[in-house]
Amino acid sequence: MPAAELFMERLLGSLHSKAVPKVLNKGEFLLRAGEIERNLYYIESGAVRAFYLSEFEEQTIRLGYEGSIINSLASFLKGTPSEFYLEPIRKTKLLVISKESFFEVVEESEESRQQYSRLLELLITQLIEREIDLLTTSPIERLNRVLLRSPHLFRHIPLKYIASYLRMKPETLSRIRKS
Amino acid sequence: MKIPTNQLIDQLLQATEKSSAAVRAFSQLDSRTLNFRMHPDSWSMLECIEHLNLYGDFYLPEMEKQLLKAKRTEMVHDFKPGLIGNYFANLMKVNNGKMKKMQSPKDKNPSNSKLSITSIDRFLKQQELLKSLLMEGRNCDLMKIKTGISLTKLIRLQLGDTFRFFVYHIERHVYQAEQVLQSYKREYQTVVSPVLSETNE
Repeated sequence: MPAAELFMERLLGSLHSKAVPKVLNKGEFLLRAGEIERNLYYIESGAVRAFYLSEFEEQTIRLGYEGSIINSLASFLKGTPSEFYLEPIRKTKLLVISKESFFEVVEESEESRQQYSRLLELLITQLIEREIDLLTTSPIERLNRVLLRSPHLFRHIPLKYIASYLRMKPETLSRIRKS
Repeated sequence: MKIPTNQLIDQLLQATEKSSAAVRAFSQLDSRTLNFRMHPDSWSMLECIEHLNLYGDFYLPEMEKQLLKAKRTEMVHDFKPGLIGNYFANLMKVNNGKMKKMQSPKDKNPSNSKLSITSIDRFLKQQELLKSLLMEGRNCDLMKIKTGISLTKLIRLQLGDTFRFFVYHIERHVYQAEQVLQSYKREYQTVVSPVLSETNE
């Protein structure tokens, strides 16, 4: 098993002792822009979106569903105010793990620290993939790139949020999907 | 009426900052207060703000587009309102707490749409953009630059009038939101005060 996945196993294994369960409904923000992110959220059921609010729209930048971990990463790592909002898309059950607990897991052993480094490398390459998404002109190509990474996205997330993530109108997305 | 461009911009910047400050204070209120409405068909505080956002969605990009196209002038002229522009701007104005009632166009009516606190955050971002557009306008001929309006394609207004209309329109609905807040407080007190007076006796 790759090191990054081993680290995730280790982290998830420690969730039960270190995490606090929480249930939130749509409209109850996990985090608002301007606040400082002090947690990681493991999604037990439901779905969460991270979005950036501009003068004119809410731009979805990340989507998380059952079994994934989400937070406002830059704020979490640097302790600076978050640029992003985190909001459940529907009723969502979460396990909340604090920054302190998270780094306890990281610092457990030399092996764990190395696995954490691999995880960060994985995250960086994922962010570069996302950057290429955003630079891809063709809407069809943008959709294909995302489906390659997350084939089951449409099963978990309503179309309008996927459209926002892909920077296209919901109408455009549903037209492309049909063809 | 004739007014030096700098003076007009200063007035509008001041009014804009005042509206921002008022709405920034709203963001401390709970969602029950923000969603309270006086009558079933009147607007909540959030709806007043979202109405302004919908106007901003049209006017801010339009004003920015025209500003970017325009030449910058070394010599800034005085500004004189146009006939129609002046009419629209004054129509929006709140005078000693009084304003002319009017119906909002359907596409700018946020009534009963699901709103959250992001309406307030978005408004404050729009206000920042507005301020930078106003400052950009200092070095432009506010009479020469024309902008389209949301009601009809037949009329174009001088940018100076659009600025005035837009800023006064914001003042108007921020004032309206403040009125809603006052009536919420009154409503809340009428529920609470009888209980209080009983315990006092």
